[in-house]
Order: sequence, then C-alpha cells, then structure tokens
Amino acid sequence: MQRSPILAVTDLSVAPAGGGRPILSGISFKVASTDTYGIYGESGSGKTVLSRALANWLPGSLAYGGGGVAFAGRDILDRRQSADFRVGRDIAYIGSKPQSALDPTVPVGPQILEKLLAVRPNLTRKEATERILHLLAEVRIPSPRERFHDYPTRYSGGMMQRAMIVDALCAEPAVLIADNVTQPLDVTIAAQIVRLLRDLCERHRMALIFLASSLAALARVAERVGVLHEGRLVEEQPIDRLLKAPRTDYTRRVIAEVPRIWSTDSEPAPPPAADVAPLMRVVDAHRTYLVRRRGHFNSYNRVLAVRGVTFDIRPGDNFGLVGESGCGKSTLTRLLAWLEAPDAGEIRLDDVSLASLSPRQLLAKRREFQLLLQDPYNSLPPRSPIGRMIGEGLFLRGALSRKEIEARVRKAMGEVGLADGLYHALPTALSTGQRQRISIARALVLEPKLLILDETLSSLDQGEQAKLLELFAELQAKNDLTYVFISHDLAMVRRVCTRIAVMYLGEIVELADNHDLFFDPQHPYTKALLSAAPTLEEKPFDATVYLLEGEPPSPIDIAPGCSFASRCPSAFGRCRVETPKPIATRSGFSACHLLDPARSSAAA
Amino acid sequence: MVETIAALGPGEFAPKRVEGSIARQILSTAWRSTGFRIGFTVFVLLLVASAVWPELSPYDAVKMDMKARFLPPLFLGDKWAWGHPLGTDQLGRDMLLRCLVGLRYSLFIGVTTVALMFVVGCGLGLLSGFRGGLWDTVIMRLTDAQLSIPMIILAITILGVSKPTVPTIILVLGLSGWPLYARVARSAAVAERGKEYVRGLRVVGAGDWRILFLFAAPNILPPIAFVAVLDIARIMIFEAILGFLGLGIQPPTPSFGTIISDSRKYLINAWWIGTSPGVFLAVALTAINLMGAALEKARNKVYGGA
Amino acid sequence: MYIVEFLLKRIAQGVVIIFLTSLLIFTLLRVVPGDPVRLIVGGMAPANVVEEVATKMGLRDPIIVQYGRYMAGLLHGDLGQSYLRPKSGMIATGGEYVDPTRADMAGVGELILERLPLTLQLAGVALVFAFLVAFPIGIAGGLRPNGWPGVLAFATQSLFVSIPNFWLAIVLILLLSVQLGWLPALGYRGFAYVILPAIVLAVEIAPFLIRTLTVSLGEIMQSHFIDEARVRGLPRRRIVYGHALRNAAVPLANLLGIQLSSLIGGVLVVEYIFDYPGLGHLTVLSVVGRDFPTIQGIAITTSAVFVFVNIVVDLISYAIDPRVEL
Repeated sequence: MQRSPILAVTDLSVAPAGGGRPILSGISFKVASTDTYGIYGESGSGKTVLSRALANWLPGSLAYGGGGVAFAGRDILDRRQSADFRVGRDIAYIGSKPQSALDPTVPVGPQILEKLLAVRPNLTRKEATERILHLLAEVRIPSPRERFHDYPTRYSGGMMQRAMIVDALCAEPAVLIADNVTQPLDVTIAAQIVRLLRDLCERHRMALIFLASSLAALARVAERVGVLHEGRLVEEQPIDRLLKAPRTDYTRRVIAEVPRIWSTDSEPAPPPAADVAPLMRVVDAHRTYLVRRRGHFNSYNRVLAVRGVTFDIRPGDNFGLVGESGCGKSTLTRLLAWLEAPDAGEIRLDDVSLASLSPRQLLAKRREFQLLLQDPYNSLPPRSPIGRMIGEGLFLRGALSRKEIEARVRKAMGEVGLADGLYHALPTALSTGQRQRISIARALVLEPKLLILDETLSSLDQGEQAKLLELFAELQAKNDLTYVFISHDLAMVRRVCTRIAVMYLGEIVELADNHDLFFDPQHPYTKALLSAAPTLEEKPFDATVYLLEGEPPSPIDIAPGCSFASRCPSAFGRCRVETPKPIATRSGFSACHLLDPARSSAAA
Repeated sequence: MVETIAALGPGEFAPKRVEGSIARQILSTAWRSTGFRIGFTVFVLLLVASAVWPELSPYDAVKMDMKARFLPPLFLGDKWAWGHPLGTDQLGRDMLLRCLVGLRYSLFIGVTTVALMFVVGCGLGLLSGFRGGLWDTVIMRLTDAQLSIPMIILAITILGVSKPTVPTIILVLGLSGWPLYARVARSAAVAERGKEYVRGLRVVGAGDWRILFLFAAPNILPPIAFVAVLDIARIMIFEAILGFLGLGIQPPTPSFGTIISDSRKYLINAWWIGTSPGVFLAVALTAINLMGAALEKARNKVYGGA
Repeated sequence: MYIVEFLLKRIAQGVVIIFLTSLLIFTLLRVVPGDPVRLIVGGMAPANVVEEVATKMGLRDPIIVQYGRYMAGLLHGDLGQSYLRPKSGMIATGGEYVDPTRADMAGVGELILERLPLTLQLAGVALVFAFLVAFPIGIAGGLRPNGWPGVLAFATQSLFVSIPNFWLAIVLILLLSVQLGWLPALGYRGFAYVILPAIVLAVEIAPFLIRTLTVSLGEIMQSHFIDEARVRGLPRRRIVYGHALRNAAVPLANLLGIQLSSLIGGVLVVEYIFDYPGLGHLTVLSVVGRDFPTIQGIAITTSAVFVFVNIVVDLISYAIDPRVEL
C-alpha cells in the first residue's frame, strides 16, 4: 500500500494545559483513504483524548505537547499549513453520547442542515435538504421526512446515533472518527450500528478510525488495530494477526479478558430440581403505566410495561433475567421487590400472596426478600455512617436493642469483607466494590432468603465483579440464599446463572437452563440477542441470519400477535395475528409459534 | 460529625479522612472566596457595632437636642463636631447612633423573617413534594394564590391601619416570601424522592415519613438555607420601603425608611440626613449579597462536583 | 391542539385566581380595622352620622352580601365608584364633607384606565433600560465567567441589588434634577418625566437579569452539545447566538414571571416618590385613604396582569423549548 495516507499522526503528545504528566505520548500511525483503523483502549487509557486530538478539538484543560496530525499532507495543528482545513467538513467526529450532542430546543433536521450549510456553503438549501433526507433513509431511519422535523428528545438512543452519523457524513468528509459510539446502546442496536458504519464508509469511500473499549466490536469493524495503553500505542497489527499472535503482554491480557460465552467451561452447577416447592412464584403479572397525552385534554396513553409474566424461582436458584432497554425488566424488578404492586396477577413468596398482607405483615415478610441496586454511589443515603446504614432495617423495626443491632451489623460487615473500623465512617472514600458490599450487608442483616440483584455488578470493573461473585457464592453456601440476577451482561449471566429468562416488550419469550439457553436457544429473539453478543468466538448457530434490523416497537400501542413479529426473520402469517403461548421446551418454555407442533400457516 | 480514620480492609486501600456534612463543605468552599470573606467581615463588624455602640454612646437616639441641630458630618461645612461624626438631624439627634439603632431593627427583622419563611415554606414544600397527592394539590394551590397577590399591596393594606409593631411587620413580610421557599423545597423533594437511596430504604421497610425526616430533609435543606442568606437583604429593603411609606416602625424610633423619608425635606441644606442611612443600608446589603453569592456558588460547586 | 388545551386550562385557572384574589382583598379590607367612613365624614362627625352614611353605603351589610353586590356589578363591567375622588378629580380634604352616596364620584374603572397607560409606559421604558444594560454585561459575563467580564457582571449586579430603590431615587433627584437640572423629577408633563423613575426601576430589575444571564449562559456553554457543535464545524458566533442564548432564554423568561410581583412593588414605590400619576401612585393613596372600591379594582387589575404575563411567559418558553411542560 504505497498510497499516501489521508491521515498521518506523528509523535503526537497531549498533556494538561498547566503542565503535568502527559496523557498521550509518542502516538504515531497512518491511515490510508479507504482504511478502517481500529484503536483499542480501556477506560482511562486516553482513548477519548486521542479521538479529540485527531480532530484538533482538545478541551481547554488540555494542550498539545508536540508532534503533528497531517491531513492530506498538511499538519492541521499548524495554523499556517492548515488554512484550508475545516473540521466538520474534512474530518468528522461521532461520539458516545448522541442524546446530548444536539441542541434540544431545535429539531434534528434543521440542525444537520445548519451544519451542512456552514461547512459546505456552496450548496443551496434545497440541495442540502435533499442530501440529508437521502442519508437519513440510508441509515435506516424510518419516515425520514417526518423525523426531519422531530426534536432530539423524540429520538431513541439508536436513532440519535444514526442521526449523528448523518450529521457527520453529510459534508462528505475524508476521515470519520468514531469514538466509543456503541457504548450506550443495547447489544442488538450496537451490532446494527457497527455494521452500518462499516457499510457506509465503504460506500462513501471514507477512512474510518474506530475507537472502542471492546475488542469484539473492533473485530467486527477494523482491518488494522492499534492498542492504546496508558497513553502510548503499544502495538499495531492487522486484526486477525493481533488476535492470534499478540506481541505485547498487555494485549495478551486484554484478549484473555474478553468474556467467553461458548468456549468456556465455567458453568454454574445444574439448577435445583423442579419438584421442590418454588420460593417465589410470579403468576400472570401485569403492570401498566398511564402517561398523560400532551394536547389531548386529560387523556392518557397506556404504557404496557409488563404483560402477563409467569415463572417460578426455586430455592437455591441463581435465576437470571436478561433483556434490552424497554423490555420491562426494571418494572418487573420493582414488582419482585414489591416496590410496586402488579395491576393484575399475583406474586407469591413461600406460597403467600404478597398483596394479601397487611402493612405489619408486609414489614415482617420484607425481611425475607431484599433488593440490591445498581448504582453504588446513589443507592446509599448520602450522609449516614456505614454502621447506621447497614442497621437501618433493624433500627426501624425497633425489636432489638442498640447493642444487639450493633453486634449484628458488625457480624454482617465481617461476612461481606468490610473492615470493622468502618462502622462509624462515612462512605465517601470507599471504592465501588466496597460500596456494593455495604448494600449487601444491609440486606444480609435482615436474614433474607431471596436476594434480587438489579444490575448490581454492572458498574464494577472485571476485577471487582469477580470478587463480588465469589462473595455471593460464599454467602449462598453459608446462608442458603437464592438469587435473582437482572442483567444485560450475557457473559456474566453465562458464568453464574442456573436458569435464565429472556424478556422482550413486557413478556418472557424464553426460559431455559443455562446450557440449553446458550447452546440451543429456541426463540428467534434469543438467537438474535446471542448473535449480537460482543465476544470473539464462533457462535454455535448462524449469526448472519439473526442480526436484527429496526428497533423494538413502542410499549404504548402494542399490535396484536407476537410482539417480535415486526423484526423476526422467520415470522409468518399466524405470528401477526395470534399471541404465542408459552410452549414447553426441554428445560423451560418458549413463546413462539415456530415451536408449536400443531402449527399451521394460517393466512394473515 | 463522625470522622474516623478507618483500618485497612482485606486487600482494599484505606479510605481517606472523611469530611463532614454537606453544610460544612459548602461553608468551607465559600470561605475560600475573597468576596465571602469581605462580606462576612463587614457583616460581623456591622452586627457588633449595632449591638454594642448604642449601649456605649452618650447620646439618645430619640431625644431632641435643639442646640445641636443640623450639624454636618466630619470635615464638611463649618459647624461639624467630633462628637457627631455623621452629623445630626433636624432635631439634633446623632446620625451615627440613629443609623446603628435602625440597623439593629433592620437586621433583626431581616433575619427573623427569613427564618420564619424558611421554616414555614420549606416545611410545606417538603410535605408537598415528598408525599404528593392531596397534600401537594392543596399546598400548591395555596402558593399559587398567594403568589398572585403582590405583597406590597397586602402589606400596605394590613399595616396601613393599625399601629405596626415589630411582630406584625415580621408576619406580613414573612407572608411575602414563603411561597418561594415552598416551591423550591418541593422541587427538591420531588427530585429526592426519585433517588436510588430512597428506593433502597423502602426495600428494607422504611416508610415515607421516616425517610423524609431522617434522610431526605437533612439532604435537601442545607443548600436552601444557604441561599436564604440572600433573602435577608431583600427583606431588609422591603422593611425600609415600608418605613418609607410610613407603614413600618413608627417614629421616633429610628428606622432607615423613616429617616430617609423625613430627610426629603432637608435635601438641599442637610443632605447628610438622607445619605448616611442609605449608605449604611447599602453597605449592609452589599455584605450580605457578597456572602449570599459566594454561598450559592459554593453550593453549586459542591453539588456539581459530588 | 396542545396550545389550545393549555390556553383554555390556564385562562380558566386565571379566572379562579382573580376571583380568589378579589375575595381575599375584599374581606381583608372589611375585617382589618380602619373605617373608611370615618375618614370620609371627618374625625369630628358624631357617631350616628357615621352609622347613617355607612349604612347608606352598604358597609354594614354582611360581607357575603356586599361581595355578591360587588360581583354582580363586576359582571356588568362596573367596578364601582371611588370613595374619595369625585369626578372633578380633586380629593376632598379634611373638614369638607363629601357624601359619597350623593356626590358624583369617579368610576373606578375610569380611574384605572386613565392611569394604567402611564404605568405601562413606565414599566416598558424601565425594562428597555434594564435590558440595554443587562444584556451586554450579562452575556459577556456568561461567556467568560472567570475573566474580567464575569467579575464586572458580578460587581454590577451586587452593586445594583444593594441600593435601596427609594434612596437611589432621592439621590438621583438631588443630583440630576436639583443640582444639575438635566431631568425633571416630579409629576408628569411629558415623556421626559418618565426617564428618572424608569432609571430607578431599571436599577432594581437589572441585577436579576444579569445574574440569570450569567449563570444560565455560563452553564449552557459547558454543556455537551455546545462543545460538540465546535467539532461539527459550526462557527462560534452561530453557536453562541443561535444555540446558547436560545437555551438561556427560557430561564430568563421564567425569571420575569417570578419577578413580576416584586416589580409591581417597585413600581408602587417609584411612582409614589416621583409623584408619577400612575396606577401605583393611585394604590398608595387609595390604601391610605381606605378607598375600598379603588383598592379592589386595582387588585383585580393587578391579578389579571399577573395571570396574563405568566401565560405569555409560558408560551414563550414553549416556543423556544418544546420540552417545557405546559
């Protein structure tokens, strides 16, 4: 490849404006005009700073330390050389926060138009608008003419990212910098966006620089990958060679840490037998929210968050609940923790319906099932000392003396691994892992039977996650606990959960044992979810068939029939008419007409 | 405040020395700005002066001394006297003394009124925001109704009749501000209600009232309290306006409003009668405003960073 | 459709508020001590004369009845007649006895309509002055909060907010009118008479404008989309004026709604000091003279203005930022 590179970075370094340790040093690489170049960097490695530095867009607190970024041969950091260079037109940038990237008080279309006319003033308004509409269709935004006039708040995360892609592409830049663009998105949407980016760059003949903190994502997009570690590019190779024969230890470690779903043996023990009485039963639970309709005189939209969910949790289970945003798992979690009551159906603990309890009985019963939250910072009361926080559940019940409460709290602290001296301290300086332990201790002190973990591990890094999972296993053995894990992290669920339920648009579409779910999924949505999972492995079923298009429908106007029919590659007539009932599978059930042994292809 | 240096946990680093409450953080941040320090110093000086000087001064703020009428301030005109550094008024009373006594009343009314508004307003606002439902509707309608009546009209209606006493003045002034506190406390309470830790507390079984009083209120109130400092200035002006209109503290007791109102007749010949109270008031207000602005900035910083 | 719903709802609420306000003032006036009849017939008149006049004026009937009568008149557009001012315009001074039930008293409606334009003119000019000062300082301060523009904005706003309005009025009258003779001070005989009062009012309004501008503009300039606009290729001017200011305008509009109440108070005091014959001036005199019908009429007018301004403010907020909950 002897073509001259469109972007050549030479010995670039960036440091804080007032001096201090450099954030980036000695970065050098070249990108040719139709390359896709990936940069791997974990958080804190300087990835975002690098992405901004390449576009001459450093924030005021940082400054260039040396080196240059040459676009088509001219150094854009040098004012004299870069007189013709215009960011937004020659180099475009897409970031990881699409929702806040545009002015919320102006509709999306006019803002993209404004940008296009600013960087390509030779276009007429008409020409520019047509180009934008064309691109909106190309990125698969439905009804582009209407969406053009919508405000940013009416766009979902995935849609907004597509709109930002249009914003970047409309000026026909030569280089596109994509920084962590899929991080805030759900797994299936992220997979779509990645594929879209790759196709677009090929079609419009642009160079793509794709920065990510996931090797799996990079493997889908990039031809060559550079590895960023502590501000330096420690290695650069074509992607397949990098994965097979990494040259540095750091890269080796990174590859080893990529979660494995199918090529791993670490499965949990088989689930408890089905003939034992379930600890918690959810029977046909429904929950609908009424949201005011603006502009229609006190009428309401019905948001159907949970629509007829039924399953059992057996004692000793590690039950997993997975699904993407909007599937209703947060609402279901609130129902399981009895923070809200279902509008129909019931939830039974130890065969007692929770709705039937008086407030006093409920207070007593609450000890048996506790909820652990996701956010380690905001889930604890801000100004209480640790001992007080942990003991709160006992204090308010007033049954024990202060001394007894203190003793139990200290014991719980020991069990979860918190130093005894922290009893009177405020949690201000504790790490995320330690904070989560406080929440665990608070639950343990009430001697529960069931612990519901609502994305509790999602904000922890790998190391802390592993430690906490160990702790959970210990506690389970010692105290005979049952867990419910609500998570979107398929790899974690694969490691830990015995039985797993998959949710989509308010229903459970499949429930199965761990091995069955991952190796022999029955429902098309499960297959799609698994095929979009960010791993480096070979998937045991054909991923290209199942990679979805489009977004889940809105939970407001749910059409009759299977809620997945609009995106399912195997949908047929009956799917759009009749809601599938759960059909028994080997270790659970799946709600899909395809499994119905007596299936008939009825006309729509 | 509970501060302990913690022992090392198993394999985890030692937490640093923990800071105190939000209140202390805001105060210490504010203290770092020069504006706050200047304002605070001036304010304390004025406070001490208005408390102490009237006890020490040889003059009487109320009694006339016809021999000493219209003495100009220090170094101005030809009849000035050391004993009256700010001159005397039309009845021979010492201006410095009268201003300080007026300041006493002004500060007292200012602080007490704001305290009253804070307690009543925030109390209702917290209830309204945290409990919602009927509480919310009723209290919010009440604040709407109250806000739509300009306070000045209400004040002059009520005070224009009977002899205004300090308690009535405080009451009427207090009515003018509580809805704002209620609104602010309410939106803070609504925001707090949605926070994760409230959910965590509910799950262990805590009820609404317990959460509100033990956890939410101590979190919500300090930042509002700090910004309330600015309100002291507003009330002091309001009180002076009432005095000016003849509806405040009645003469011969000195109050800024009445002094300035009377001074209009002597504007050309004895301009100092009107100017000194104005300057005192302006200085006091500036000091309060400097403190209030610094506290507000500090509050935003503490909450933004946290 | 949305706007229609909003307007209907708010106008309905507004009517309720005006109604409640008028009821409140009405009751308050009759409950709080201070008999208007005494003031009218003079301190010397014997008790039976007072009673006779009061009964003829309808002031001895139960409050509900009086209110009913008042409301009935209101629905016909009749705000009643002043207790104090005869049609000729001269208020009866002490000693003379003008029987308000016999003499031809000025209609409250006319009184208000006569004076309202003057007050609106004063408020308008004051707002213009305030904006002229606040905008440049506030915007500069918001764009560079840590540089000298920010310090200047803070200093100006602190200074202005600490000056009592009535004191400033006196000082300005002394300096600009008496000593230098540049501007007229008291009364109203032409546009020049608006200027001094408007300056005093503007000094009262400006600090809040400056503060809100600096704070909200400062915050918005830190937001993600403003930062991102730079890398998208938008020129700085466009970013600041087309987007940042636009977003900052909503808190500004809200501020005006909230400040309205104290603005009215300011107008009152300023008109009183400058003898400016507007609605505020009338209010002070009417309250002191216990002229019930006029006070009630003014309270209703003020309430109506209040409701109207708040509706307009909300509409403007929505026009700028459609996320606003109407």
